[in-house]
Amino acid sequence: MKDVKAYIESGVLELYVLGDLSPEERLDVEKMALEHPAVKTELAEIEQSLEMFAQEHAIEPSEGLRGKIVNSTLVNLGDDRIFTKQRKHSDEEEYEDDKVITMPKRTQFYKYAFAACLTLLLISIYGMVSLYSQLQESNTQLATLQADKTKFANQVNFKDNQLRIYRDSNYRIVRLKGLPKTPAASMMLAWNPSSQKVMVDMESMTLPKHDDKHEYQLWALVKGKPVDMGLFDNAAADSAIVKEMKNVALAQGFAVTLEPKGGSVNPTLDQMVVIGQF
Amino acid sequence: MSPKRKISLSEEDLIQALRNREKIAVEALYDMYSASLYGVIVRIVTEEAFAEDVLQETFVKIWNSFASYSADKGRLFTWMVNIARNLSIDKVRSKDFRNQGKNQELENNVTFIDEQRNTVYNPELLGIKEMVATLKPEQRAILDLVYFKGYTHVEAAEELDVPLGTIKTRLRMAIQQLRKHFNE
Repeated sequence: MKDVKAYIESGVLELYVLGDLSPEERLDVEKMALEHPAVKTELAEIEQSLEMFAQEHAIEPSEGLRGKIVNSTLVNLGDDRIFTKQRKHSDEEEYEDDKVITMPKRTQFYKYAFAACLTLLLISIYGMVSLYSQLQESNTQLATLQADKTKFANQVNFKDNQLRIYRDSNYRIVRLKGLPKTPAASMMLAWNPSSQKVMVDMESMTLPKHDDKHEYQLWALVKGKPVDMGLFDNAAADSAIVKEMKNVALAQGFAVTLEPKGGSVNPTLDQMVVIGQF
Repeated sequence: MSPKRKISLSEEDLIQALRNREKIAVEALYDMYSASLYGVIVRIVTEEAFAEDVLQETFVKIWNSFASYSADKGRLFTWMVNIARNLSIDKVRSKDFRNQGKNQELENNVTFIDEQRNTVYNPELLGIKEMVATLKPEQRAILDLVYFKGYTHVEAAEELDVPLGTIKTRLRMAIQQLRKHFNE
């Protein structure tokens, strides 16, 4: 009991009430107060007298301050509730805010990137399709040109051959003339006695038209006898400009008769249209 | 309007209302304790604008940290006045407060605070009232330093140049004197 009295008189309780003790000393005083009612009573006395002392020295703050402080405390109450009860929540919200700020940028970016890619893809597809069709067109043109070229080359070759016939001194040009029955008819052929070749110039040929059942037949006069040289047609079907006929080595002349389709073994002499002799 | 109608609750009811975080608790708290708390704050801080800031901070802190108050450990006012005193001392030592004064470079805060106070200190307004004249001069001095200037008893011992034990005894005697005075 004496200990308690000494403890009370040490002045530590006053310092406790004034908040002037270390945490350990505070705990010690609180323990003593729990154990000894006298200490507790003494503390209450000190507190009461200091509170009254403060009341004696109270100073009223300015009038306007009440509303301001009450409001700011209550506003803080709002803040306080957010921060204490929903602290984690508000932290998450901040993160969510961050996400909300950054995410749209990303999605926006990807959205635009995707749109750009799609646009590029479409443009490429269109370009490829049009290039492909152009290529096809070019190929077609090229094929046409090549065909033309082949045709022209053939023609040139052919013309060359024709020209060669005329230039070749071995060829002998024979002009077949119309008979009294067919005075307008005429025809020209070339014969090479050494190669035995006979060519008929279809272009300069002017023979009367014949029906479908007949054809012209060329004959060569070999030793006074007619020899078959082949059939030909002056219709458009025979497009060759120069027609090569059968070969003959020795001929004194040539004649053309109109024979039934397929030709005849012996010429029908009254159907002779042109004749030419050396 | 009845601006003078103040709300007053019993300490028990007030504590309950504060625990329930009722709006009326803030108003009652202000009406019941603002003057007493401001009396302590303004004597430490001395600059009215700063003292009002501290009073506001005090109420916000009381409100926000009310969960840490335990009635078992003492009276509500004791807890609150210690908050007010600590915030006042923090304010006086803050850069903010020192920058508004002229002697910012002083490194000894206690000395500085003291000098600050000496320029504005008005014993008639801020000092211990005449009715406590029953206190002996050394008792007034220690109460003045510890209660109204925010000195720790160690700082007070240095300031008054007396042993720590003497400070404690004097403080106890001063408070005993107050008890006697209030109980009369």
